[in-house]
Amino acid sequence: MAIESDVLVVGGGLAGLTSALSAAQAGAHVRLVSYKQSSMRQASGLVDLLGYVGDDAVVDPYDAMDRLHDEHPYRLVGTQTVKEGMALFDDVVDGYSGSHTDTNALLPTHGGTVKPTARYPRSAMEGIASDNRDMLLVGFDTLVDFDAPLAAAHLEAAGAPFAADGVQIPFPGDVRPDAKVTHYAKMLDQDSEVAVSGRKTSAREALAERVEPHLEGHERVGFPAILGDDNTTTVRSTLADALGAAVFEVPMGPPSLPGLRLEDRLYTALDEYGASFEMGNPVIDHESGDAIDHVVVEHTGAPVPYSADQFILATGGLVSKGVTSNRAGVREPVFDCHIPHPGDRYDWFEDGVFDDHEFARFGVDVGPDLRPRDSSGEIEFSNLRAAGATLGGYDFAAEKSGSGVSIATGYEAGRLATEEIA
Amino acid sequence: MSERVEDSTVDESFEPTQPNTGESYEPVQVFPDDQTMDLRPGADSCTKCSTCDTNCPVAAVDDEFPGPKFQGPEQWRLKQTDEGEEYTIDDSVMDCSNCMRCDDACPSGVPLSQMHNEARGEYVETEMSKFSRTYWRNRLLANYRTSAKVGTAVPRLANAVLNNSAVQWINETVLGITSEREFPDFATQTFREWWADRGGAAASRENARESRERMGDPADADKQVAYFHGCYSNYNTPEVAKAMVRNFEYFGYEIVVPEQRCSGTPMFANGMLSDARRDAEVNVSSFSDLVDQGYDAICSCTSCSMAIRQEYPELFDIDGLDDVSTHTYEAVEYLRAFEDLEGELADATVEFPDLAYHAPCHGRNQGLERQAVELFRELDGVEVEDVGKSCSGISGTYGWKAEKYETSMKIGEEMFEHMDHAEPETGLTECPTCSMQMEHGSGYEIRHPLEVVEAALIE
Amino acid sequence: MGAKSVGTQMASVPHIAVIGGGSTGIGIARDLSMRGLDVTLVEQGNLTHGTTGRMHGLLHSGGRYAVSDQASATECIEENRVLRDIASHCVEMTGGMFVKRPEDTEEYFQKKLSGCEACNIPAAVISGERAREREPYLAKDIDKAISVPDGAVDPFRLVVANAASAQQHGARIETHTEVTDLLVEDGEIVGIEVEHGAKSGERVHGVQSGREEIRADHVVNATGAWAGRIGNMAGLDIEVRPSKGVMTIMNVRQVDTVINRCKPKGDADIIVPHETTAILGTTDEEVEDPADYPEEEWEVDHMIDTLKELVPMLEEARTIRSFWGVRPLYEPPDVGSDDPTDITRDYFLLDHEERDSVQGMTSIVGGKFTTYRMMGEEIADHIVGKFGIDSECRTADVPLPGSDDFSVLRDYMDEFGLRSPIGRRSVERLGSRADEVLKTDEPNPVVCACEGVTRAEVRDAISQAGPDLNATRIRTRASMGNCQGGFCCHRLANELHPEHDEATVRDSWDDLLQERWKGQRHALWGQQLQQAMINYALHATTQNRDQDPATHGSIDFAAFDSGPGTERPSKIATEAADGD
Repeated sequence: MAIESDVLVVGGGLAGLTSALSAAQAGAHVRLVSYKQSSMRQASGLVDLLGYVGDDAVVDPYDAMDRLHDEHPYRLVGTQTVKEGMALFDDVVDGYSGSHTDTNALLPTHGGTVKPTARYPRSAMEGIASDNRDMLLVGFDTLVDFDAPLAAAHLEAAGAPFAADGVQIPFPGDVRPDAKVTHYAKMLDQDSEVAVSGRKTSAREALAERVEPHLEGHERVGFPAILGDDNTTTVRSTLADALGAAVFEVPMGPPSLPGLRLEDRLYTALDEYGASFEMGNPVIDHESGDAIDHVVVEHTGAPVPYSADQFILATGGLVSKGVTSNRAGVREPVFDCHIPHPGDRYDWFEDGVFDDHEFARFGVDVGPDLRPRDSSGEIEFSNLRAAGATLGGYDFAAEKSGSGVSIATGYEAGRLATEEIA
Repeated sequence: MSERVEDSTVDESFEPTQPNTGESYEPVQVFPDDQTMDLRPGADSCTKCSTCDTNCPVAAVDDEFPGPKFQGPEQWRLKQTDEGEEYTIDDSVMDCSNCMRCDDACPSGVPLSQMHNEARGEYVETEMSKFSRTYWRNRLLANYRTSAKVGTAVPRLANAVLNNSAVQWINETVLGITSEREFPDFATQTFREWWADRGGAAASRENARESRERMGDPADADKQVAYFHGCYSNYNTPEVAKAMVRNFEYFGYEIVVPEQRCSGTPMFANGMLSDARRDAEVNVSSFSDLVDQGYDAICSCTSCSMAIRQEYPELFDIDGLDDVSTHTYEAVEYLRAFEDLEGELADATVEFPDLAYHAPCHGRNQGLERQAVELFRELDGVEVEDVGKSCSGISGTYGWKAEKYETSMKIGEEMFEHMDHAEPETGLTECPTCSMQMEHGSGYEIRHPLEVVEAALIE
Repeated sequence: MGAKSVGTQMASVPHIAVIGGGSTGIGIARDLSMRGLDVTLVEQGNLTHGTTGRMHGLLHSGGRYAVSDQASATECIEENRVLRDIASHCVEMTGGMFVKRPEDTEEYFQKKLSGCEACNIPAAVISGERAREREPYLAKDIDKAISVPDGAVDPFRLVVANAASAQQHGARIETHTEVTDLLVEDGEIVGIEVEHGAKSGERVHGVQSGREEIRADHVVNATGAWAGRIGNMAGLDIEVRPSKGVMTIMNVRQVDTVINRCKPKGDADIIVPHETTAILGTTDEEVEDPADYPEEEWEVDHMIDTLKELVPMLEEARTIRSFWGVRPLYEPPDVGSDDPTDITRDYFLLDHEERDSVQGMTSIVGGKFTTYRMMGEEIADHIVGKFGIDSECRTADVPLPGSDDFSVLRDYMDEFGLRSPIGRRSVERLGSRADEVLKTDEPNPVVCACEGVTRAEVRDAISQAGPDLNATRIRTRASMGNCQGGFCCHRLANELHPEHDEATVRDSWDDLLQERWKGQRHALWGQQLQQAMINYALHATTQNRDQDPATHGSIDFAAFDSGPGTERPSKIATEAADGD
C-alpha cells in the first residue's frame, strides 16, 4: 500500500511550505516531502515582494505589478491573491515587520547598499535606511563577509539620510578565524563564558564592552546577522540595554541565520497545522496518465510509493536543482515538465554580469491555474500545480521578487489544490 | 517508470537528471594507500552555499572544527596526488563526529560523509601512530561488540566492574575514556538467547501464520523479514528487539535472525575502515542469500540501517551488497510504508508515559525525523513532544572519548534544555547511543518507538 | 614606486624601454636589469594581460615538438631543466604522457619516441595498464604511452616573480600603461609616449595617471600579437599572424599528469593539471584582430567531446570557464603557410635598423612560453652588443624571488596556524616568501575558500599590485575556484579598504565581477549554471549589487517606509522571550 494524503507537496522551501500551509489551512490533509535543505538557508531572510521594475526602484509593489509583463506570476495570480498570500505569511510567521504598510522599506545589505523589501525580520528593523538616526556598523575581524567601515562609507555614498560609521573589532573569546557563523550565534545564544584580557565574562557583556568605546552618540548599532539563533531577541535586547542604543542585524549571504530562523518558524507553523512532512528522501519517479497517481519516494535506496489526490511541485529553480541543465537543454527533473528555453545555450546568457539573462527566467510554463503546460500549451497533468522558483518567466534577482512570488504562488497553488478535493 | 510520452522539443539523447543525485562517476582508487578512493570529482557538485556548515553540531560549539564544507569538498579539491610529497589530511577530521547531518542537508549532492569517511580512513592509516593510546582507545570503542560479548557472558560482574570508580579512573587516565559516563548495563539474557529459547524462526512462522489468519491474509503470504538487531539491542536492550519481533509477527511477518556482526558505524567514525570492511563482508554475505529469496532486511537501530543503506555502498564493493542495501529498512518505517500501521494506531489506545522524543541524526538522514511524532499523534493515551532539531552530541563513540566529552555535552545542551522544558519525563528515540546521552543528561528512562507500538497493538 | 634606482657604478647606463608585460618582455627586463642596464617596462593591462595569461600552463618537455620541430624541442628540454631550478615555486613537475589510442598509428608513436631520444628528452614507453595505474581515469582502451618530463607552470606567478626580480635590480615596471606613440626624431626611435591608468585613476601600479614621455636609448617591442600595432606607430610593417586557441578549465583535476594525445598535430589533444584544476586545450585558428575575435561554442564542445576519448569522465565533469589565447605567430614573409598549425613556434628577433633602417628599436615576435628566458637572454645579448657592453647573463643561475631555499621552508607550514591543505597551497604559491607573508599576529581568515587563500596573502598581493583586484587575483588565485568569485569578490573588495577609498573599491569590485563573468559564460550548463544563478542571487538579490544606488544614481529614501513607527519601541527589550 502507498502512503496517502490529499495534497502532496514536493519541495520544502518557501513556496512548498506556503502551499502546504495554504492547503492545510483550507482543510486538506497535507504531506510535504523535501529532499534536501532549502535555499532559505542561503537567502538573507528579507521577504522581497517587488523591488525593481526595470531600473526603477519600486516604492509600492502592488501598484507596480501592473507594469510587469502579462505572463509574470504576479499577473497570472493577480494582485489580490498576492495580498492574500502575504496575509497568510503575516499570520503564521512571528517576528517579522513591514505588514503595517504596502510601501517597501529600504534595508542595508552586507554589501553596503540598500535594497527595497516588503517584510523584514524584527532583528533587522532598526537598520531601516529611511530613518535619519545615525548608525554605527560593527564588523568582526575574523568574519570576512562584512567590513563595517567600508559598508558605512558605501551607505553614505548611496545617499543615506544619516551619518554612518563603521568599526572592525575582534569577537570576544578569540574565536578561530575559520569559525562558522553558527558558532558566533551559539556563543551569544548561550551567553557562553569567554576570557577577555584574562578576565572571565559572558559573551554578550564582553561584546557590548568592546563596542561601547566606539558608540560616540550613535543611536543605533548594526552587526552582521550572527546575533543568536534560538534566543536572538534576548541577545539583541541584552546588547541594546548594555549599549543604550537600538541594535539590529545586517542580513548576510549564505549561510544565513535569518534564513534559518525563518525556515524554523515556517516548519513550526506547519507542525501546528497538523500537516505531515519528511525530509531527506527524493522523489525519483511517478506513475501517471492524464493525472498523477502516485510518486515514488526513495527511502535511502528503497522505493516507496506516495499517493495523493493533488500534487504541488515546489522544488525551486536552478539554485535548488528544481530546474537542471546540460549542454543539450534544460529540464524539470521530477515530472519532466516542459521548460521553454532557447535551443542554443549561447542564447541563455548575456555578456554583462548583470545584463538581462535568459537563464534567470528558466522555469515551467503555467497559466493562471498554475498547472504546468507542455510545449504545445496543453496541461501536463490535471492534478499538478507548480509554485515558486520552479516557475519561469520572471527574474527574481533583478526584480527582488523571489520571496513574494513563492508566497503568492504557493498560497494560490495550495488553495486551488484544496478546492479540487472538495 | 512513468508512462508519459515525453515532449520532443529537446534532444532525445538528453537524460533528465535525477533530482539532486550524487555523482555519476565511479570513484577510483588512486592515492598511495590502495584503500583510499579519489573523491575530488565529488567537489564538482559543491556551490559553496554552506548549508552543510549550518547543520554541523560540532562546528557550532567548537571553533577548532572547521566544518563539513572545508572537511569535504574544499579539502578534497585542494588535495592532489603528488609524487613523493603526500598531501596530508588535516587532523581536524578526527573532530568530526560522523553524525552525517551535512550529508542530509547538502542541496547539491556532494558526497560529504563519504568524503569524511575516506579522509578519516586515510588519516588514521597514514598519519596516526599505531602505537598511540588514542589509536587503541578508538579501536576498543569501535569494536564494542567484542567487549559486549565478554560483558554479557558475566553481565552482573561486568556491570559492577565497568562502573567501578577504580576502573573508570583507569579508563580515563590510561585509555582516555571519560569517567563522566556510566557504562550501559548488560542484559542478563541477550536477545539471541531469548530468540533461541523461544524457538527461533520456526516459532516465528507459527506466530506469523496466526496473525495472517486474523488479518485475512493467505497463510503463505510473501511476508518474510531478516532482522538486523545490531549489538546494542542484543546485549543491552533486548526489550527493543523483542518488540520488533512481536510487532512484525503481529502484521503477519515471519522473522529470521541471521548471523551478524557490528554494522560498522563506530568503526567508520573512528576511521577504522578495515575493521568495518571485515564485519560488513560477514553481514552482507549473511543477508544477501535471504534477500535473494525475497526477504527484506529490518533494523531497529537507525545507525545500523544508515550504515547498511548508505555507508556500505559508498565505501565498499562486496558481492550482493547493492541488493542488501536497497532492501534494508528501519523497522517502523517498513510497517508504515507497507502495512497500515498508521490506521491501526489511530484506532488503538495505549497506556504509556508521555514521551520527550529526540530524532537521532542518522534517523534524520533516512528521512525519519518526523516519523515517531506524526505516527503517535493519532494514538490515544500517549503524548509525544519533539525536543528539537539539535544533535544529542554523543554520536556513538564520540562522547565516550575523554577529550571530546565536553564538546559532546555542549552539543547536547540544547536537547537537555528542551527535555527539561518539555512536560514528559520519559524519553523516546530510535538510537541506542542517543538514548545513553539522553539518560546521562536528564536521568530519564528512554524508550524506543517499537516499544510504544508493541504496547498499543499487542499488550 | 616607480622611482628609478640606477646603479651607481656607471656614470651613464643605457636606458631601455621594454613594451609588453608578458613572459617575453618581463624576461628581457629581468635580464637587462640584472646586467646593470636601466630598464622601464610598460604594460597596457595587468602583467600577463596578453597571451601569457592565456595559456594552458604547460611546461614543455619538448615532447610535443619532438617530431615536427626538433630545434624547438631541444630548447624546451633545456629550459624545462632551468625553470625547475630557478622557478621551483612556479613549477609542478607532474610528468607527462603521450597516450596512444587504438586508432592512432604505431608509426607516429615510434617517431615520437625516437624524436624524444634525438632531442635528449627522457622518454620511456609504458603499457596501457601501467598508464592507468598512474592515471586511473584514463580511458580503458588506451594502448600504451610514452612518459616524458612535462610539467605545469603558473604563468602569472612566474611573470610576477620575474617582475619582482627586475624591480629588485632597479627596473621600473608600469602596468595599466598604454603606449600611445613612439617618439621618433630624425628617423630614429628615441622613446615612447604612454598614457597611465587609462581606466581608473588611482588603480594603477606605479605612476598615478596621465601622459608621460619616456625617452630611451633603445626600445624593445615585446608585445606579441600587438607587435604590428606598435610597429605601425613608426611606420614599420610587422606581419604577426595571430592565431586563437581555446582552453577549457575543469573544476578539479581528473588527472595529475599532463596527458597528450600521441598523434600528429591536431586540436583538443592535451590536458594539463594546473593547480586545483585541469585545463583542456586547444584550437588553432587564425584571427584578424588579437583583441577582438569570436569565442565560439563549438570550440568548447570540441574540447570536451574530443578529450573525453582520453578521459571519459570529462563528459559529465564540471567546467568552470573557458578562455582564449592568441598566439603571436610570425613567419618571415617568404614562407606563406596557409594553415596556422604549420607556422613555426620559433621566435624572431627583428632588428629594425638592419631590417628597415630605423634605429632605436628591436621587435621580438613568435616564440613560446617555456623558452621565454632563453629568448630574453638572446635579446639582451643583442642589445648590450649594440652598446658595446660586455656582460654575462645570470638569469639561468639566480633563483627567482620565492624560489630560493624553497625546500627548507616547506617544512614550516604548521607555524602559520593554517589548516593543512590551505597551508600547503599557500606555501606552494608563495615559495620562500611564505614566512614573511604568512607569519602574522593578526587573525588570518581564509578569504577565498575554493583556492585556500588567506587574508595575509591577499593583503600582500594588494600591497604589491595596488587596488586592481584582478592583479591580486592572478597573484593569489583568489576567485579562480569553483564558485568563480561568487562568494569572495566582496570579501576581496573588503580587503582593499581602508587603504583604498570606497569609490575605488567599488569600481575594482565591479571590474572583478565582470572579469569573472566573462570566462564563466562558456561553462553555463549543469553545475556551473547552477553556480551562476546562486552567484547572481547572492550579488543581485542579497547585496543589490546590480542596482547599487551609489553607482546607479540616488534613490529617494524619503519615499520609502521608515518602519512601523509607534510599533517600534525605543529599545527592543520589551519583546517577549524567544523561542517557541
